Amino acid sequence: MLTLDDLRQFGANIQEGLDRCMSDEGFYLELVGMTLEDASFDRLSQAVAADDRKAAFEAAHALKGIVANVSLTPLYAQVSEMTELLRGGQEADYGAYLARILEMRADLLARQNG
Amino acid sequence: MTTQMQELFRPSAERRRILIVEDEPVNRRILTRCLEGSYAVIPAAAGGEALEIVRDQIETISLMLLDLHLPDMHGLEILQRLKADPRYARLPVIVMTADSQAEVECLNLGAIDFIPKPYPRQEVILARIRRTVELSEDRDILRWTERDQLTGLYNKDFFYRYAVMLDDYHKDLATDALVLDVNRFHTLNDRFGKAYGDKVLQRIAEKALELVRSSGGIVCRSEADKFFIYCPHRTDYADILEKVSVSAEEDGSGNRIRLRMGVYAEADKSLDIERRFDRAKMASDAVRGSAANAFGLYDRSMSEAELLAEQLIEDFPAALREGQFRVYYQPKFDIRGDVPALYSAEALARWAHPRMGMVSPGVFIPLFERNGLIQALDYHIWSETAAQIRRWKEAQGLRLPVSVNVSRIDLLDPLLKDKLCALVADNGLDYADMILEVTESAYTEEAAQITETVKELRSLGFRIEMDDFGTGYSSLNTLSTLPIDALKLDMQFIRSAFAGRRDTRLLQAIIRLAEAVEVACIAEGVETKEQAEALKAMGCDVIQGYYFSPPLPAAEFTRFLSEEKRKPEGARER
Repeated sequence: MLTLDDLRQFGANIQEGLDRCMSDEGFYLELVGMTLEDASFDRLSQAVAADDRKAAFEAAHALKGIVANVSLTPLYAQVSEMTELLRGGQEADYGAYLARILEMRADLLARQNG
Repeated sequence: MTTQMQELFRPSAERRRILIVEDEPVNRRILTRCLEGSYAVIPAAAGGEALEIVRDQIETISLMLLDLHLPDMHGLEILQRLKADPRYARLPVIVMTADSQAEVECLNLGAIDFIPKPYPRQEVILARIRRTVELSEDRDILRWTERDQLTGLYNKDFFYRYAVMLDDYHKDLATDALVLDVNRFHTLNDRFGKAYGDKVLQRIAEKALELVRSSGGIVCRSEADKFFIYCPHRTDYADILEKVSVSAEEDGSGNRIRLRMGVYAEADKSLDIERRFDRAKMASDAVRGSAANAFGLYDRSMSEAELLAEQLIEDFPAALREGQFRVYYQPKFDIRGDVPALYSAEALARWAHPRMGMVSPGVFIPLFERNGLIQALDYHIWSETAAQIRRWKEAQGLRLPVSVNVSRIDLLDPLLKDKLCALVADNGLDYADMILEVTESAYTEEAAQITETVKELRSLGFRIEMDDFGTGYSSLNTLSTLPIDALKLDMQFIRSAFAGRRDTRLLQAIIRLAEAVEVACIAEGVETKEQAEALKAMGCDVIQGYYFSPPLPAAEFTRFLSEEKRKPEGARER
């Protein structure tokens, strides 16, 4: 089970996340769980693999919004940076961005399932 | 109904329904969780789904929360579609976005507010939603109540409020209160149907709205066929009337629609707005019945007449109770023979007002005819007269028929016959002792019913005189079939025939007309010997007027009668 401590160690802004959930800890954790299962991760992975920049932007943008709502700050920073690069149509190592994003997700999922 | 049901069956108790259009499950979950304590939540994960829900449930959806990035269409497109469709345009939409550029665009497209992403604290979301729902419900109520359903113009109450508001903003601006009326609108409705009448009103409303849009002011439909305009002072009233007129060609039916307008120019702003429009109405009523489009300007004398009228109406019940209405009698003489012979008398109402003195019947009779009080007054005069005829009969053995006035409204009273018969019976009179004077104009509307009633009274034995002949619009064709025994020429005929350059041709023609339909001809308002002799020469049968006697109170008239009775035959020559 994921705990607030796990999230704190991860670097999440717990106070902000809880505020958004009217300090309901269980609800906050539930939302984090939902976020980690979100289909946007898969969409982003597929788009990057296919080098479809437009689809990648859409997926990254959606993911950014979701991650922001649960205040997973380090993850948000990566997704946000990637979104802005894609928005500007810049050349970048998107595969590396995706790898870091998926790693953070895997880390949190491991804590959740651990 | 159970108490619980009553609790629920109230607009304020219904849970408002909010449509959340958001494809991300996490976001939907957050919003649902946030709202479900206070609202019923309808989720939609895509644009098409959202539009379908709106189409099916628009009446019960209070608000849409709209995400811009949806899988099937962009949120802005949804917004545009809703705002372009009058069925859905009223639905308030709050856009949820992380993009501050999009916020402006959304507000311009008709979004009522936005919620930023990441979401703010739940209290903030809830407060924004609560406020939006309240505001938009108030706006809907306002829209329903401020407008007249037929024409879409303001209704009177809101019009007055906005007029007062304009006064507050423009304290020193001279303003006009205008009233527009459709002449004889009810006959338009009667002849061509309500749908046609409605169309005419809508057309006038459109034109009036165009007018105030181009030159300033506000307009409302105040009641059935009346429109009010409040605008900065101007002087081109004929022009305004022209602009709002619905012309025959335009209407297509060839019917002539005539408008009249009352103007209270440079209105006194210390008066209530309602009073200002009362004055414009007076000005409009003053030109009622004009043949062409016409406008009237208010002047002070109109209010004075109106105030007097109000006072008289207020004083009427007490006047009747306290016997302030007196019956005066004026004789009518038969002039066919060598010597005028007393023919009958007319009972006339006089009002001895405790503060105003004698009030002219020319003031109070038309007033009471308009508001129906005449019915009570007429009955009072009839019963006083019947009692007087009885006294003359019993005390002096005199038998003089007396005519009383029967107003149009009396003739529509189903109890009229019973009332008159009771008066005759209670006073031991014959029907022939009372003559009923019915004005010519009484026959103009509901002619068949009025004629039938008069016929019935006449068949009982009452004699009928047609009063004020020449002022109404009798068809000469029907004159011979009307149930009457005499024509009373309107006083105005005598006056104009003998005034200035004497021209008695019309008078002569009417006297011949009476002969032709074989009824007696009575001339009223005869004042001089010259007039009496000329009328006699023309073949007039009966004369009434100051030449013989003014109207007299009962006691004096009784003396007049005794003197007449004592006069030897030859001495009555005047």
